[in-house]
Amino acid sequence: MHRSVVKIMALDPTVILNYWPLLVDGAVLTLRLAAIAFVGGMLIGAICATLSLLNYWPVRMVILVYLALMRGIPFIVIVFLIHFGLPSFGIRTQALVTGTVALTLYAGAYYAEIIRAAVLALPRGQWESARVIGMPPIAAARHVIIPQIISPSVPPIVNCTMTMIKESSILSAITVAELTYQGLVIQGNTFAPFEVFISLALIYWAITIAFSLLAWAYERRFGTASGRTSRMSPIAARYLDIDGKSGR
Amino acid sequence: MPRLMDAISVNFRIAFASILLAVLGGTLLTILRSFKIRALNVVIIVLISFIRGTPLLIQIFLFYYGLPALGLRLSPEVAGILALSLNSAVFVSEILRGSLPSIEDGQIEAATALGLSAGVIWGKIVLPQLFRKTLPMLINESTVVVKGTALLAVITVVETLRVAQQIGASTFRPFEPIIGAAILFLGLYVILTALGWAVERRHAQERR
Repeated sequence: MHRSVVKIMALDPTVILNYWPLLVDGAVLTLRLAAIAFVGGMLIGAICATLSLLNYWPVRMVILVYLALMRGIPFIVIVFLIHFGLPSFGIRTQALVTGTVALTLYAGAYYAEIIRAAVLALPRGQWESARVIGMPPIAAARHVIIPQIISPSVPPIVNCTMTMIKESSILSAITVAELTYQGLVIQGNTFAPFEVFISLALIYWAITIAFSLLAWAYERRFGTASGRTSRMSPIAARYLDIDGKSGR
Repeated sequence: MPRLMDAISVNFRIAFASILLAVLGGTLLTILRSFKIRALNVVIIVLISFIRGTPLLIQIFLFYYGLPALGLRLSPEVAGILALSLNSAVFVSEILRGSLPSIEDGQIEAATALGLSAGVIWGKIVLPQLFRKTLPMLINESTVVVKGTALLAVITVVETLRVAQQIGASTFRPFEPIIGAAILFLGLYVILTALGWAVERRHAQERR
């Protein structure tokens, strides 16, 4: 038998069986980090989106720079920047705090883009008519704009949140004890890298699948799913359709 | 800083190799899926879901620390390039898939009526248009790959972030070299994004 086949059969399940409480702890912290990043990020995102829609250029420039930094620098570098940067400004905290701050700032930039895009996708007249009939800005935002942007932004926000769950694995590099870090600890104790990393991958996979099911259920319920509605000719479908969705 | 400048070329090289492999792999995945062989498509869909559903960092660990357990030992750089390209190939194939329906049915019908072979239809009709349409998105994907190369620092590839950490360790000033690394990555990102804009502008002009 080929050597690698023998090796696969020699996978050692006891590695996981002995250490599963660590993985559970890690997964819980990962989800908590994601939850904090979600709430904080949405707050930052909403504020940034609103400010940049105000069209006041100095504020817009500041937000533009923030977004460019978050999108242009690899997350692991952002994490190190904040981790090593805060102490230089005299702020000394635990890795958990700097990690949470980094993830939240990062998430905020992406949520801001989503919210801004959703608002800009609305017809301009929505805002103008609301103001013309005498609604103050806050009321116009609350009763006219916000209800209309929620539904279209749910899928990208879920998507982005899943990205944040995945990116949180990078916080292991500054010893935040989330899922990946616990995996590295187990790997240090057992020297069974394949078993450990496959288990980590499966746990992350399960979490993201659960999230995408949630998004899917939402789309089905509220019907925001859009797709090609017209039928493709069967000949064209031979090349242009790879899921077998169009046609019969 | 000169050491960082040297190191960013390593990132560039790794990213370049990964993007090439990713476009190749992504195209292959897309064509394979178009054959609609049930079993094969199930495998591809599971692969896509797995790659999209797990962190890139874990995929890199799997390639570098996991594969030796199966008897395949790779150098950190090769393992990194493979992990990045597999990850990106999946996203490239999703980008291509998204733009497939934008090609007109009539073209395929006409090509089929002319009796052109599948190879010609893909190579001369579908793919050229597909790449033109998705070029801005593919460039965007390449910025993601460039950012992914920073993660290879954790598997000891001597790239920009790794060098920044080494400088930090030897000078006991970790913050400054990281700022340098961040500026270099930002520079690469700005260049690629500008390229993307230029391409998009040219496309918009050609359409008029």
